[in-house]
Amino acid sequence: MVKECLLCEQTLDATPSWQSLLGLDQQAFICGDCSNSFKRADIDIKEEGTTIDRTTSLYKYNAAMKEFLHQFKFLQDVALAEVFADDLRRVLKKDAIIVPIPMHPAKKVARTFAQVEALLKSANVPYMDVLEKTDMVSMGEKTKAERLAMPSLFKVKTNVTIKPTTYIVVDDIYTTGTTLRHAATALKEAGATRVEAVTLIRA
Amino acid sequence: MAYTFNTEVKNFLSGRIWLRAHTPFPAETIDAYIASGDIQIIPGIKSEKTTWSQMKHICNRCQNDEPSRFTTFDCAKCEGPCTYCRKCLKMGRVSTCTELIIWAGEQTVYPTIHSFAWNGILTTHQQKASEELMRSTELQRSHLIYAVCGAGKTEILFQPIYQLLTEGKRVCIAAPRVDVILELEPRLREAFPSTLIEALYGGAKPGIGPAQLILATTHQLYRFQEAFDVVFVDEADAFPYTADETLEHAVKKAVKKSAPIHFVTATPSKQLIAGRKRNASISTIQRRYHGHPLPVPRYETLWHYTRHIKKGSLPKKLLTWTAQRLQKQEPFLIFFHNIALMELAEPLFQKLDAGVKAIHAAHPERKEIVRSLRNKQLPGLLTTTILERGITIPNVQVAVIGAEQKIFDKGALIQIGGRVGRSSDHPDGDFVLFHHGITYAMDDAKTEIIRLNEGGVSW
Ligand SMILES: [Zn+2]
Ligand SMILES: [Zn+2]
Ligand SMILES: [Zn+2]
Repeated sequence: MVKECLLCEQTLDATPSWQSLLGLDQQAFICGDCSNSFKRADIDIKEEGTTIDRTTSLYKYNAAMKEFLHQFKFLQDVALAEVFADDLRRVLKKDAIIVPIPMHPAKKVARTFAQVEALLKSANVPYMDVLEKTDMVSMGEKTKAERLAMPSLFKVKTNVTIKPTTYIVVDDIYTTGTTLRHAATALKEAGATRVEAVTLIRA
Repeated sequence: MAYTFNTEVKNFLSGRIWLRAHTPFPAETIDAYIASGDIQIIPGIKSEKTTWSQMKHICNRCQNDEPSRFTTFDCAKCEGPCTYCRKCLKMGRVSTCTELIIWAGEQTVYPTIHSFAWNGILTTHQQKASEELMRSTELQRSHLIYAVCGAGKTEILFQPIYQLLTEGKRVCIAAPRVDVILELEPRLREAFPSTLIEALYGGAKPGIGPAQLILATTHQLYRFQEAFDVVFVDEADAFPYTADETLEHAVKKAVKKSAPIHFVTATPSKQLIAGRKRNASISTIQRRYHGHPLPVPRYETLWHYTRHIKKGSLPKKLLTWTAQRLQKQEPFLIFFHNIALMELAEPLFQKLDAGVKAIHAAHPERKEIVRSLRNKQLPGLLTTTILERGITIPNVQVAVIGAEQKIFDKGALIQIGGRVGRSSDHPDGDFVLFHHGITYAMDDAKTEIIRLNEGGVSW
């Protein structure tokens, strides 16, 4: 079967390399050109003892990434979850409980999938969907002051127990950090000892 | 019935296959027509088990059946495995739980009175081709107009199109690239001032009037089903439709049963010729309308041009060539094989003249920039191969940087050269291939151009 780049549709080089013969290479979903158009951010901020003890972001929000997110979320191209699967798997290979930032159920049905869950599924990372949204107001519609003054955005689901251990909350993009802080607060108030955050993109 | 019949809905949906959730009409209106049976619902994806009990999917909008172009996922809407088509994704996703709609009611009747305002004169060659095309149309057989770049292909279509319009037929001109559509649109509007014409391409919003003459990129054809009495496919071989099969698929779905599909191109593929050769429905024009020969490419070595550009300097020959164009005030196009290299070169050219601009397929102001070059507001453009077809700029001079690159195949080089010397005021011009080694494609293109100029038949 001819494989094409998920983003630009050019045919991917089918000649097997020695890595592929040894089963060492990662499966290619995009071509070299597209891959080079994404820029690493490699942000790793450690603030032990604060709401979020450590924040990791993998990529910059450049034009290519903007385009990627548009195709993934707006055009609902779930297949694109594969593109950064290896990157995510690598940073999430930890002894911790992975928690995706939840989407409002109605929004999830409208989009047909929750993007963070799709990313985690493709990365083959086990996760626990322990949080839920408290209201449906979108972050983008609020001013900064309103966002800071807002009551809790998330709460721990009623039938879930939070263990005294490390949790990692995962989101697609880090913009102001409010979303992640709210999620971390909810987890810590319920008994989590440490909360880390991982986002694919840093705006 | 609790609704009044709305001709707008009929006119819009006639011949179309559309996403139920994305029509220009209120949902209640669409619901009412579904209830009355005027609108029929079709599932987005047809899935069947094959003998090997694998699933075989077909997209009901674009007819894609390539397994690699489908993705199946856990759908939160239909709460199960849901398959979507990645081929036509950009037109709004079609998945298993997506509903497509078609108009099943009384069909739109198109006017038979049109005005034909073109008063140019066809050359004998053009006239002959035009008549042959009309004859094939009458016989409902596919026809190929194989004409060199600058032969005046569009004018050949005018008379046959007029004939069809006056018969109340619905006609489509399809082209693979938006540039070709944008170039055609004003000419057709001028030729048929009283006809309702609609140009459809990515980003253009479809109107709701009963358009009888449709200009569409081949992608947009996915949204039509048994709509047209004739389709003319312009520049039939052009990227991304080099595979004629894909193109024919889309076109075949858009035409009515047994309606003819005609092709117009300067660089037909072997299959395209073979398909039409059987019933002798090919018209060939090897002379440009002004009678002057096609410009033959000349070769110039440009060793290690990539290294030069990366180091921040233009190779001397290229510098001289560009400086000459600027000094003589001749508009120019310089073709690059990749965007990154072109963007590195852009500031180097701007040192010669700040007005030089680089454009590529995804450039947001691409239309405006090309127009500025045509209006002499810019001295010249750097471009990727997007501009190789359908662009007429009087007295334009053309250079290819890295003519040995794979993307510059025979067809692409012939088309690029076809930009030169199109107007009778400037029937000549420079067509230079700067290269780091000569390829078969370069030689083949040159041989073909010389053969066409000598009047030889090329199949
Ligand atoms: Zn790519
Ligand atoms: Zn499709
Ligand atoms: Zn579904």
